[in-house]
Order: sequence, then structure tokens, then C-alpha cells
Amino acid sequence: MSSFVDYRLGVKRKLLIVDDEEINRMLLTNILEKEYDILTANNGQEALKIVRKEKGRISLILLDLLMPVMDGYAFLEKVESDTVLKGIPVIVLTSERGAEVQSLTMGAADFIPKPYDAPEAILARIGRIIRLYEDTNIIGATQNDELTGLFNREYFIEYAMLFDQYYPDEAKEVIAINVNRFHVLNAMQGREFGDQVLSVIGKSIKEYVNESRGVACRYSADQFYVYVKSEGHEEKLMLSICDALKPLLDDADTRIRMGVFVGAVEGEDLAKSLDHALLACNGINDKYNRKIAYYNDKLQEKEHFDEMLIHDLDKALAEKQFKVFYQPKYAIQGDEPVLSSAEALVRWEHPELGMISPGKFIPLFEQNGMIGKVDRFVWKESARQIAEWKEKFGVTIPLSVNVSRVDVLNEGLASEMLEIVHAAGVEPKEYYLELTESAYVDNQSNIVTVAEKLREAGFCIEMDDFGTGYSSLNMLTSLPFDVLKLDMIFVRNVHRDSKAYRLVEFILDVARFLGVTVIAEGVEYREQYELLKKLGCDVIQGYYFSKPVCAAEFERFITG
Amino acid sequence: MTINDLKNLGANVEEGVMRCAGNETFYLMLVPKALDVSRYDALEKALEEKDFKAAFEAAHALKGVLANLALTPILAPICEITELLRPMQEVHCEELLSKIKEEREKFVALL
Repeated sequence: MSSFVDYRLGVKRKLLIVDDEEINRMLLTNILEKEYDILTANNGQEALKIVRKEKGRISLILLDLLMPVMDGYAFLEKVESDTVLKGIPVIVLTSERGAEVQSLTMGAADFIPKPYDAPEAILARIGRIIRLYEDTNIIGATQNDELTGLFNREYFIEYAMLFDQYYPDEAKEVIAINVNRFHVLNAMQGREFGDQVLSVIGKSIKEYVNESRGVACRYSADQFYVYVKSEGHEEKLMLSICDALKPLLDDADTRIRMGVFVGAVEGEDLAKSLDHALLACNGINDKYNRKIAYYNDKLQEKEHFDEMLIHDLDKALAEKQFKVFYQPKYAIQGDEPVLSSAEALVRWEHPELGMISPGKFIPLFEQNGMIGKVDRFVWKESARQIAEWKEKFGVTIPLSVNVSRVDVLNEGLASEMLEIVHAAGVEPKEYYLELTESAYVDNQSNIVTVAEKLREAGFCIEMDDFGTGYSSLNMLTSLPFDVLKLDMIFVRNVHRDSKAYRLVEFILDVARFLGVTVIAEGVEYREQYELLKKLGCDVIQGYYFSKPVCAAEFERFITG
Repeated sequence: MTINDLKNLGANVEEGVMRCAGNETFYLMLVPKALDVSRYDALEKALEEKDFKAAFEAAHALKGVLANLALTPILAPICEITELLRPMQEVHCEELLSKIKEEREKFVALL
């Protein structure tokens, strides 16, 4: 911090000399002005005014003790009780021995005896105190997470390693703590409320680890870690956090999930232990009947499997192990269902593992951000396929591709998409983009901008998985999309449960009100199809017509 | 007024100049300020009015300034009177006050 100010900012620091005696002020100014910008005050009261006006730009105060209006002692008292002033070191100027001790106990950083015998010593003393304070302040500011007061991740690792040094022979455990549906909480009740929740959790964890002698941090957004001796802390900790949250959240008992990795011992890679605990924690995401999960062999197996997929991804793309399958979508409001478009879905034919279900690799790649690579492969291949079929059959079968939430964060998405379709010789209007509803909820303002750009470029936007992302009706009116894809959970029971039926009816009404097309996904049975048709649903996708099939097989739908 | 004049009167000029970071001109500019009559009048007036708190503060302030400039002949009686006044109770210090004034006059004569 000190060297940052010295070398990077290249500014002179400001000192404030508080002394009622002009000659003393002049003497000190003469000694210090080459290295510092000097401000002066006649007494404590004037000094307070200057310090408040300068708002943090004063590096040090030189304070005389005997002064009219407000003397040095009264000033020191003010400094001690004021959070802004407290960060500024004060050096007391005095000729009195007793005063030295008293001012130091009152919070002064040092004293300079009068008369000022050694200008160099004064300069050195001031320089040392400034460095000391600046470095301490920056450590204080950076080692703690501002919102919760817990360590931040870097310091957490440092302190956890220190913890290992003090308890080398004892078994330890890492507890990963996460908030269920936190993004929804933020979206529905506002960031301020979300912060309040995090702050309460942080405080509760802090109190717990203070007592149990552990180390804790807020690692990121709603992700916390605790590192303690392995003494079965997790259930007690869960209880304290839930109790602390009760005044804020009615469903406090189902809000927290924990993953525990027992056996973090010295020498083992701590980062790995954190990953294990987090993996266990995320494995019970939104499973309300399980609040605490332990890392075990099965998880380890999954972890190894995941690692293999991550490792193999680039090779798989290069060797074209990924295949795009197409599931037809039929417009059903006419006399006969008519093929209107298809959804492009990726499959992985792994040379050793065989056909890997997208459910196994998509969430994994979504989590680590690698999904972008897979998406781009599907985007290009689909654009090429549209062009091929157009050439071969003289008709356009628009294809819809999935856009992951990480892609949505990319502001250049629209131009990238345009490049892809133009390179294939396809029009944007022949190419549909599916954005999941939960991405809208997570990242509303950003996604709105990106989605608007995409629509301006001519693409049709489908809101995927509608009904699973907790959109409020109010949000729906402000989000840019052309098609609403009704999630299969609504369709599943539409033919045998009157509530499900009425809900679908209601959603279709809302869609009509918004002027958007509705596609129902996951339609398997004739009854579902007929009911949806009767209710006015525009398009249907599902096993009732066909499972996703390879391009060659799909061609039979085109030729009819 | 020169550095030598001050030296001849007994001021510890080397020390004073050293506190001015070696700048003699600056030192010679400050000395007249330390001799300003109002400072001494304030002490005398406080003593006359038996305001010993004010008298102590005036003496203490003078002591600080004179010590920094090392005007030793005036500083010595000022130190004495400051200590006498420290309890802020009635004391008789007419002699010391005269001594202070007398020594000051010698310096003022150089201006």
C-alpha cells in the first residue's frame, strides 16, 4: 500500500500541523514541506474541520497539546471516538515527559519531543508511522469481506494453513455452506435484502467459529466455507444459522445447505478439500429433505468422471465426437400438424464411454464455463444444416439452438451469431435462440440488453424452460422474447390433473395477452396433444411426434 | 541582526539553525517573531490579573518557541517561570519577569 502510493500514484501525502504557535508551525513546515503537502490549524477545532473537509486525504496529524479553544487531549478524544478520524495517525508534539505517556495511551501513534532537535529524525519518524498505518489499514480492509466481516478467500486460505500449523495432528473438516435459491431471493426481494441475508449468515458463522476456534470465509456471492477440527460441528452450525435467519425468512429451515469433507489433514491440498466439500454441497442443491451432505466415494467417482469429461472436451470437439440431433416441433392449430421447426440438441459419442447423456456434461460445462465451446459447435453445425436442407429440399426448417447463461453475459453475442449465420448463408430469421428463463432471473438487466440486440439483428428469441425460473408476471412484460416454451413439468399432468390443466390454460392466456407464441415441450401422449390443441397452444415438441434424431433420420419429417 | 550578533548575546545559534534545517535566513526571519512584544505582554498582563492559568499558558508557549530557536538567555528564566506557574496557583515571580524583559530588550536592540 505504501509503495503503491509512493510509486504508482506519485503524489505527495498531506500532513496537518495543529499548533497555536505560528513559529512552531513554520519550523515544522520548513522541515517537512519538501516531502509533504502541509496544512495547518491553530487548534483542535480548526483541525477537525480541515480533516472532515479533506475526507481521508490526510496521511498524518502533528498535534500540539496545549492550545486554546480545543487542546490536543480533547482532539485525541474526538479522534478515538470517530471512525473516520481513527484511521489517521496522530503524532503528539510535546516537551513534557508525562504528556508523552498520556497521549500514547489516548491513541497517539508516537510523539516528537520539543524542541525539534533532529529534523531528519522527525522526517524518519513521520515516514515510518505513515507506512505502518497505511499497511495496517489496507490489510484490515482487504482481509475481511466487507459485507460479512468474515475473511475473504485469500486470507481464509492463509489462515487455514496457519490453523494447520497449530493443529498438525488433528483431523479437520471443511464445511461448504450455500444458500438455496439465493438468486431468486435477490431477484424477488432486491439486492439489499439479499445482502442482509448474507450478512446475518456471516455473523452467525463468525460467532460459531469464534467459539469453536475455526476459520471461516465468504468465498463468493452466497458461498461460505468453515475450516474446523473435525468434531461434528455441521449440525450445530446449521442450527445457529437457521435460527439467525428466522426473523428474516419464513422458510429459514430450508434455505441453507452444507457439504462436509471430513479428514482434511495437514499436507493435503486445501483447495482440493474445499472442492470436495463444495461438490457435496451442490449435490443437494434444492433437495429440501437433505440439508447436509458428506463427500463420499460415490461423489469421488462422479468427480473423476467429470474430470475426465473436462479433460476430453477439446479432443472431442476436434475429433467431432459431438453430434447434433434434431427434435421436430409441429404447429398444431391447423387441421393437420405441420412441421414448423426443430430444436438442435447435442449428443456426445465418447470413444470409451459410449453415448454420454447431455444431462451429464451440460450442467458440468455450464458450471465451469466450458459450455461456450460446445454451444459454438452446435450453433455452427445447425446453421450449416439449415443451409444444407434448404439446398436439398428447397425449404427452410428453422432450427433453434440453446444459448447458455455464460453466453448471455457476452455483449458481443449478437455480432457473433450474425457472423455464424451469414457464414453459412442463412438468414437470422431462420435461426431461433433459446434462452433459459432462469438466466433472465439471474441477470436481468444484462440479458435484456443482449436479447434486445439479438432481436434487433433479426433473431427470434424463445424463452426456454418457462415455469422453472421463478419469473414474476410483472417481469414477463418487460423481457424481450418472441416465443414462450412451456416446461414439460406443466405438460406432464395436463391430461390427468385439473390444477395442471388450469395452470396451462392460464399461461396460454398470459401468452396471448403478451402476443407471444407458445411451444409446449415434453408432449408424449395423444391426450396431452389434444388438450393442448384445444387450449390454443401453437406448437408442440416431444416424443408424441419424435424423439431427437440425427440429421439423416430427420429428413423423413421434411419429405413428409 | 546577524547570526554573530545573536551568538554574542548567548543564543545557541548552531542549534537554532539546525532546527531550521540549516537555513540561516529562515532562522533570522523567525527570531523577531519570537521577540514580539505581545507575547511578553500577555504573560505580564495575566500575572497582573492573577490569572495563573493564562500566565502558565503564555509562559509555556514562549518556552516552546524560544527553545526551538535556542534563544538561551531568555529561555532560561522562561523555563523557570513556567515551572513556577505550572500548578496554576499564586506565585511571586516579579524578579523572573524583569529578567525576562531585560534579556528580551537586549535582543530587541539588535533589530
